[in-house]
Amino acid sequence: MSVELNGSVATIVSEEPLIIQNPKNWYHAHSYGGWGRFFKGLRQGKLLATRCTNSACAEKRLWLPPRCECPDCWHPTEWVEAPTIGEVFTHSTVKYPGAPFRASTPCPLISVAIEGVCTKLMSYLKEGTPRMGLPIRAVFNRERPTNTILDLAWVPR
Amino acid sequence: MIRLSRNNLRIPKFQRPVFVVGAGMTDFRKRYPEKNTCQLCMEAIRMAVEENDLKVSPEEYRRSVNWCVYSQFADHFGDQLLAAAKVHDYLGFDPLGNIEVKTGGATGGSAVLAAAQAIASGYASCVPVVGWERMDEVSTKVGNSYIASAACKDFESELGWMYASYYALMAQRYQYENNVPRETLAKIACKNHEYARFSPYSQNPGHYTVEDILKNDIVSDPLSFLECCVMSVGAAVLLLADEETAYRLTDHPVQLTAICGGTHTLRTADRRHMPILLLPNETEETYADYFQGRRYEWPGFSSFLATRMAAYLAFNMAGIKDPVEDLDLLETHDAFTISDIQTYEDLGLRPYGRGREFIDSGDAYYEGRLPTNMSGGLIGTMHAVGATGIFQLGELFWQLNGWWDKFHADPARWARYGKQKPSDFRSLQVPGARRGCAVSHAGTGSHVTVAVMERT
Ligand SMILES: [Zn+2]
Repeated sequence: MSVELNGSVATIVSEEPLIIQNPKNWYHAHSYGGWGRFFKGLRQGKLLATRCTNSACAEKRLWLPPRCECPDCWHPTEWVEAPTIGEVFTHSTVKYPGAPFRASTPCPLISVAIEGVCTKLMSYLKEGTPRMGLPIRAVFNRERPTNTILDLAWVPR
Repeated sequence: MIRLSRNNLRIPKFQRPVFVVGAGMTDFRKRYPEKNTCQLCMEAIRMAVEENDLKVSPEEYRRSVNWCVYSQFADHFGDQLLAAAKVHDYLGFDPLGNIEVKTGGATGGSAVLAAAQAIASGYASCVPVVGWERMDEVSTKVGNSYIASAACKDFESELGWMYASYYALMAQRYQYENNVPRETLAKIACKNHEYARFSPYSQNPGHYTVEDILKNDIVSDPLSFLECCVMSVGAAVLLLADEETAYRLTDHPVQLTAICGGTHTLRTADRRHMPILLLPNETEETYADYFQGRRYEWPGFSSFLATRMAAYLAFNMAGIKDPVEDLDLLETHDAFTISDIQTYEDLGLRPYGRGREFIDSGDAYYEGRLPTNMSGGLIGTMHAVGATGIFQLGELFWQLNGWWDKFHADPARWARYGKQKPSDFRSLQVPGARRGCAVSHAGTGSHVTVAVMERT
């Protein structure tokens, strides 16, 4: 039998056991939904967080990563600009990242403590050597934004 | 601040007792193209049914089953959605009902929990739990990014595409807060690689010194390659039954006295502080001086609330007052050396901040008070994710029945996997072991189950 099939013929990786390549070449159209405002904010050099609008809610601090609804009372939150200075809460320099990693290696990953924010945002240090408590300020990748969390980085202040 | 109510903390109850009657597994390899997933699962269930002294034939066992639970972490690794349906058919269980469970690295533990719930409630009387992972279709770098897809893809995965990094962030903070010497972490890696040398199923055995571990290349500082779990292909099976069925199938059932789950935020970043949830062996006094007055900064990046929550429920359910005293064996989810130290504290083996003492004192070793990861764990033996939590309970089942030698020491078993039994082989059967505990764990502590098994 001989059949004309669309697409390329599967590449054989091994004959015994028989292993073939199953190719994958497509993208996911991923929506940030209500969180998109955070990523658009990075383009404008703004660090946008959210705060619960329920005056009876015990959690008064900011959420960063943002949430459109408060996990404690399920009320909607409002967008506010978070401080763009903070401290290194913890750090680790990654030498062997996973395949799609786009920044250069070794890359110092950090968790950032920011006054008035109830979370410790994960990010990376663009300059300098990380250490616990290092005072840092946010920098934004506004030239050619990736529209991902990589558009936010930090440098010592 | 997280506030838990009495109802949130209700201790689970089984309406009727749950028993384990058999365990089986394949060996675990980095690549296993010789056998497809269905074949690996068949091999593991055949071992469970044919090699655990059951009083029935495989055909009679199959006729006893009335519900099945499947356990696979990642559809994108196996590249086959509804793989459980293929496995279920291949094992000849159609048209019985089944369910496939997914909770990341804790999938195996959660699958056993789901099977136990089915039996305890009376929904079923005989349930095989079948778990596997096939992680060899992609390169290790792509595999790491697949695993990192189980971090928050919007706010975290892009930062490294590497779970070791997310644990390394915790490791740095833990070391900073608790002053743990690097050597203590390395000792855990030495221990588990060493015990893996005596397992015919192990993927990454090795005799290493602390110095070897510290000299090893760093993935994400401070963690070296030898301090990270392996990426495996393989399958594991646990056979669960109610009391009547258990004694019809075997003279050697082991009771699953508790298995409970806890969770915490997928992003470590989002973990807010709360008062420490106390275990039966802790009081307010235990933590009077903890953190020098910063005691409400718990769990932070140094502790797993999910593990503490699951342990709180399981220990109360199983009547465990002091885990080091009351347990004879422990299997932890040693995905990374740091997570092991954290877990010692979450389980109450030592108070928070003092986890290092569990390893430094020798308690965690074969000769110690609570032998931990005699299986070789995830660092030395396997992490075929969907199989892992089942593998841990399988190893405990054999230990509690006094069958460790039967399943590890026979040269024929080593030969089965194309291996030679080491000339300096030693038995890791814990004499008279009666009660064991296993921790199944996902993410940076997003899902955790804690199980307690007891010889009747
Ligand atoms: Zn609220």
